[in-house]
Amino acid sequence: MYWVSVVTEAGIFAILALGLDVIWGWAGDFDLMFYGYLALGSYLTFVLTIGKPTPPVEYILGGHLPVLVSMVLAIAVVVGFAAIIGAIALRNLREIYFAVTTLGAVSALYLIVENYTPLFDGYNGVYGLINPGQTALNLTYNGYRILLLVVVLLLLFLAYLLVQRLSRSPFGRMLRSVREDERAAAAYGRKVFFSKYRAYLFGAAFAGLAGGLFAIFISAFNPSAWTPQELLVIYAAILVGGRGNPRGVILGVFVIYIGLIELSRFLPSPASRPDFGPALRQVLIGLMIILMLRFRPQGFFRERPGVDPGPRPAVRRPWRLRVPAVAASSDTAAASPGTEVASPATAPASPEAAPAGPARNPGREGQAADDGGAG
Amino acid sequence: MSAALLEIENLTKSFGGVHAVRECSFSVPEGEVVGLIGPNGAGKSTVVDLVSGFGQPDSGSIRLAGEQLIGKRPDAISRLGLIRTFQTPREWRNLTVMDNLMLARRRFASESFWRSTAHARRIRREEETDRVAVRGILDRFGLAELKNELAVRLSGGQKRLLEFARIAAAEPRLIILDEPMGGVNPVLGARMGDAVRQFAAEDRTVIVVEHNLPFIERTCDQVVVMDLGEVIAEGPFSGLRDNPRVIEAYLGMDLSHG
Repeated sequence: MYWVSVVTEAGIFAILALGLDVIWGWAGDFDLMFYGYLALGSYLTFVLTIGKPTPPVEYILGGHLPVLVSMVLAIAVVVGFAAIIGAIALRNLREIYFAVTTLGAVSALYLIVENYTPLFDGYNGVYGLINPGQTALNLTYNGYRILLLVVVLLLLFLAYLLVQRLSRSPFGRMLRSVREDERAAAAYGRKVFFSKYRAYLFGAAFAGLAGGLFAIFISAFNPSAWTPQELLVIYAAILVGGRGNPRGVILGVFVIYIGLIELSRFLPSPASRPDFGPALRQVLIGLMIILMLRFRPQGFFRERPGVDPGPRPAVRRPWRLRVPAVAASSDTAAASPGTEVASPATAPASPEAAPAGPARNPGREGQAADDGGAG
Repeated sequence: MSAALLEIENLTKSFGGVHAVRECSFSVPEGEVVGLIGPNGAGKSTVVDLVSGFGQPDSGSIRLAGEQLIGKRPDAISRLGLIRTFQTPREWRNLTVMDNLMLARRRFASESFWRSTAHARRIRREEETDRVAVRGILDRFGLAELKNELAVRLSGGQKRLLEFARIAAAEPRLIILDEPMGGVNPVLGARMGDAVRQFAAEDRTVIVVEHNLPFIERTCDQVVVMDLGEVIAEGPFSGLRDNPRVIEAYLGMDLSHG
């Protein structure tokens, strides 16, 4: 069960990191408010689900909604909150100015939540969301935790598919052009603020979702669960995995979380100094960032460049014929079946593949697999 | 002379106490190449910024095909058919040359969040026609071999060519080139001059801000001379050699040899 818990937590943070990567990796905005959105999503999921507070405990709402409904509502509120913060911070502020503004926003949120008890019971926080739906599903405690893991991994996979699709889409390309050179993007007709704003709201929705899952996962939530430093771990994971590459981001989160959690089991943890372990964890994360920036600044997987697949529709390998169903979307039916999938007769030994070869970017190896259907 | 595409009237802009542009008026006929010259600090770049929406004038009027541009944002002006360059090439550095040109094609509708999510396949098919056009443009500017390179890896001259290729891909009505010849060798310069004439042949209107006068002489139909924020002369290049105000502004330089 130990590993179920570790992987579940890493999965939740991978969803969070995918959202942050859209904001920072694609649109280029170093947002420090982001962990606040996770916290907000978490708190709201609690107070919409766990019922009225019994004094002296106090918090807002106190709804008795099914947990899934609460999560959806929480995501909506988080996105609404991000709409306010984003409208202020993204309009004219960039880089360090944007970072400082969002840091101010998250600090204000943190202080308010910690000190204004009628909101989320201040420092004590909210609790009591223990395996919602376990009896209805007729599961044992362990069975429920395994189901939660499966659900988290499934949601992570869906989030990955969505982000991966957007990453290579004109939307993702447009965001990256804004990141690379805002003035040039505006000179070519891009609405800079609106582009960044959309990325911001989209990313915040992921934080809201991760917050809801986190609420179910830890069943109690208070200010000590979301100190602003936690966000730096997510940034470190994105940096290590590969900024702008969804696959790299997920790998980075798993490496950082599982690596550090496992490693900290072997670290000395003297009873007289209980903060020694967590402090050393921060040092190790810092060390990892420095080493990555020195030896592999692009991360494990670098951002996929937008290569030209060649003068004809890319040649499909025969095994790809099985794949298109995976990428099925609402418009698959509209697509004529013959256009996307090469028949086995034309696939092998195609002369078109050759001229495209030399011009290809060396960074393409291992990435060619999803040129077509999956992206 | 055909009708004016761009009409600038009484444009004024000061930064603090400095009058960068003063009561500046000139017009650019459709389909012509117009050079905008003048010594450093004459206000040329400010005019370019004001026309393209990267600055707001204190007073005056700028009309593109009759539409008032004052108060519009750069992206809105660009969508009316104006593409400008900057003094230093502003390629999207960590995107490939191909992506740079695909972005310059400006298929804004495909960039909506919804279409990019739900109609990925249809968009990919549509993009294929753009790719064909873009490959032709890359061939024309000698960048075909570099199409999958990140733009940041290109040499200075290649970045200038990429700038021109992006303009060709965007198919704008009005092009403003802000010092396109900066750091460009004569061979590449000749190629860029040809590209400017090619744009004109495609019925696009071009404004060239440039210090390299032989380049202006070779490529421009008309020249507007500015000094200290004012237009001091207008007309064909050949007629400016004997204009005393122009000679004074250029401190007696021989205009034919820049």
